[in-house]
Amino acid sequence: MQYSPENVMPFGPIHPSLKEPEYFKLILDSGKIKEVIPRIGYVHRGIERAAQDRTWVKNIYLFERICGICSFAHSLGYTQGVEILTHFEVPRRAKYLRTIVAELERIHSHFLWLGLVGHWAGFDTLFMWVWKDREHILDLEEAITGNRIHKSYVAIGGVRKDLPDGLRETLLKELVFIEKRARYYSELVQSEETLSIRTKGVGGLTQDTARRLCPVGPLLRSTGIARDIRVEDPYAAYDELIPQVQSSTDGDIACLMTIRLNEVLDSCRVIRDAVDKLPSGPVRNPVPRVVPSGESCQHVEAPRGELFYFVRSEGKSGPARVKLRTPTLANIMTAIEMLKGRPIADVPIVLTGMDPCFGCMDRVSVVDLNKSAQWSLTGEQLRQYGIEYYRRHE
Amino acid sequence: MPRNKIGEALGEMFRTALEHPVTEEYPFGKKVVAERFRGKLEIDPMKCTGCSICEIVCPAGVITMIPVGSKTVGTRQVDVKRPTFELYSCISCGQCVEDCRFGALSLSHDFELAVFKKESLRMGKSNGS
Amino acid sequence: MNLYQVVELLLFPGLTFFVWLAFIFEWLERKTAARMQGRVGPVVTGPSGIFQPVADFFKLASKEEIVPEYSDRFVLRWGPALFFAAPAIAVSFIPVIGLQSTLFDPLDLLFMVFLLSFSTLMAGMLGYASAGRFSTIGVGRLVVQYTSYEVPLLLAMIAPAVLAGSLSIEGIVAAQSGVWYIALAPIAFCVFIIATLAELEKPPFDIPSAKTEIVGGWMTEFSGNTLAYVKLTKSLSYVFLSALAVSLFLGGPQGPILFANGVAQGFMYAVYFLVKLFAVGFIIFAIRTALARVRIDQAARLFWTVLTPLTLAQLAVAIVIR
Repeated sequence: MQYSPENVMPFGPIHPSLKEPEYFKLILDSGKIKEVIPRIGYVHRGIERAAQDRTWVKNIYLFERICGICSFAHSLGYTQGVEILTHFEVPRRAKYLRTIVAELERIHSHFLWLGLVGHWAGFDTLFMWVWKDREHILDLEEAITGNRIHKSYVAIGGVRKDLPDGLRETLLKELVFIEKRARYYSELVQSEETLSIRTKGVGGLTQDTARRLCPVGPLLRSTGIARDIRVEDPYAAYDELIPQVQSSTDGDIACLMTIRLNEVLDSCRVIRDAVDKLPSGPVRNPVPRVVPSGESCQHVEAPRGELFYFVRSEGKSGPARVKLRTPTLANIMTAIEMLKGRPIADVPIVLTGMDPCFGCMDRVSVVDLNKSAQWSLTGEQLRQYGIEYYRRHE
Repeated sequence: MPRNKIGEALGEMFRTALEHPVTEEYPFGKKVVAERFRGKLEIDPMKCTGCSICEIVCPAGVITMIPVGSKTVGTRQVDVKRPTFELYSCISCGQCVEDCRFGALSLSHDFELAVFKKESLRMGKSNGS
Repeated sequence: MNLYQVVELLLFPGLTFFVWLAFIFEWLERKTAARMQGRVGPVVTGPSGIFQPVADFFKLASKEEIVPEYSDRFVLRWGPALFFAAPAIAVSFIPVIGLQSTLFDPLDLLFMVFLLSFSTLMAGMLGYASAGRFSTIGVGRLVVQYTSYEVPLLLAMIAPAVLAGSLSIEGIVAAQSGVWYIALAPIAFCVFIIATLAELEKPPFDIPSAKTEIVGGWMTEFSGNTLAYVKLTKSLSYVFLSALAVSLFLGGPQGPILFANGVAQGFMYAVYFLVKLFAVGFIIFAIRTALARVRIDQAARLFWTVLTPLTLAQLAVAIVIR
């Protein structure tokens, strides 16, 4: 479509309000956005291709480094995929421990998101406070797993370490603190006038749009469609510790904040439940060395939505193919739809509303060339292709 | 639905201002890490037998086994190897620590690993020494 | 204009004094905002980080200046100097060490109004001259914000002038020897503070240079010397507007004086002035830290529909009192 260059505002790839680079071409019409053309692929690192070169165990460390915020969900998804292929049953205690760390990660991710919404709405005070409280969660994760972000906690066959002694009391105390803070922030974001006029009514998502564009995660739950992988297709210990699915019907950013804070409160309840009911037993069972041939598909509820993993094995020392579909990829078209007709000032807030994690998102690994039917390109070929492409366009 | 007010955060702001700030004193003070914190890799050379398992399992390719001598096993001469570590690539995952059957490897609490010369972060035997 | 007056103009309580106050204000703002957020703010440079704004100024001044290709170099070269001149001249009209200011004119309140609009005009020109997408959008927002807050600001400034019966800042200060005008015209004081937040582009009105939306607004393309002086000018107008609030509403440097005349008396006046200045500054810091950024249309709506009628009402009350 034709548009004049004066009406185009480039948002990104490097922009103060994007955590990771993505390019959105905003086509403006007197201060309001008429259309958004995204261009993804700036953080494509070839992780799926790198996974084919590595052994089954080495890949855990590769996949958890796809994203810093949902790192545990990635390693959990991959490991569960391998465990399905080996027809292996993880000990119950390990399942509970995996649930505890996964829920801790959900809390930390939602707090991170809340801080970022505050920051991008100009409310730096909320940003600093929420991240100050998030440190309590990260310290807990460090005490359990050994690291704050890339936890390296899950292993094929269970988890690597048991809970340290004396952690139970600390964990319960911190949970009380987190619940108190989450309740305070719920109240604050609803009643602070300058924040609510930025977030109420902004980015309204309706059920029809949601059914058409298929978003996942809290974005979907904000339209009233209450779907959560942990409840519908339980993995780890979720069949025994059932979380409550939080949903709402407003579809705007203010309601997304409420949903995520309610999810934090619910996660605290699930963790407390898990700690109470923690079964005894081993935390890790030895897995057979050879992974038999086969394919496995399963999904995990990452903090951002449904994370889908496909693992194929051909009986070798490493996977033959791993394909993952991250929640941000499913949400990005919805976010773009939410942006139409809004002024520029709402762009960072709406984009944050879907909790973007572009580092997770760029998983393009099939390149369709018109002339040759290659299915993967070497680094040099990709570079050459990019040079010629940009010489032809723009 | 509570009525919105401006400056809802003021009470909390003044309360936070009177508390001690949460910023840690690092680098002017010591940073205390958790017990299980995975820092710099360390080796106890007395326990290492040169089995090369650590080299096989390392995800980052940090470990290389270097022949330092040879010994007789039955009727053959076998190389005796010892590991050398390129710690600038180490991701401190702990896989080698877990898989070493002799307990020769451990992860310390040291995390200040910024150096001016990369060679300072090489550990273990090097070729020719 | 004798030598004594020139020294007063340039050093104390003129330009140098106010520039140092600008640095201290910036430091104080960063420190109080940090403490309210649970952080520490600047710590390293000087005791408790007090030289941090000075260090930032010199760091920026030592950097290379990158100018976009299509920008208007003449304006970008001379604009910052004019932009800096506006509050630099204006501060000399504020009485600090006595009831008389260094420069005086019977109509100097109007001259202050002119200098305020002049500095915004220069900001707009500088943003427009550095031709870039984000700068242009920032200038647009700046103009909208300026037209919105100007009317309440001027009306709020006129209220004490009406009460004092004089259009000179000295006259208004002198007329407050009995009762400070904050008691007689409190709404005007509140509106003045809110409009000051909009003039200085502090949250909730930091829309024209919203860092997370349009990268830097009209300040996007500045770097090096230009940016150093633009930031200094913004700090200086911060001090200037707070000093104006002190003079118009809080009685200037007046307070119980223990000495008859001489240096000690001037010193006491200056101390009272500084105490009141920091009090006004502290109010602005607190408001700034507590609020999020509003959108430009919401800000315009606030100023036109709420603040302007309030100030008109206050003005009517002031006329009646007079």
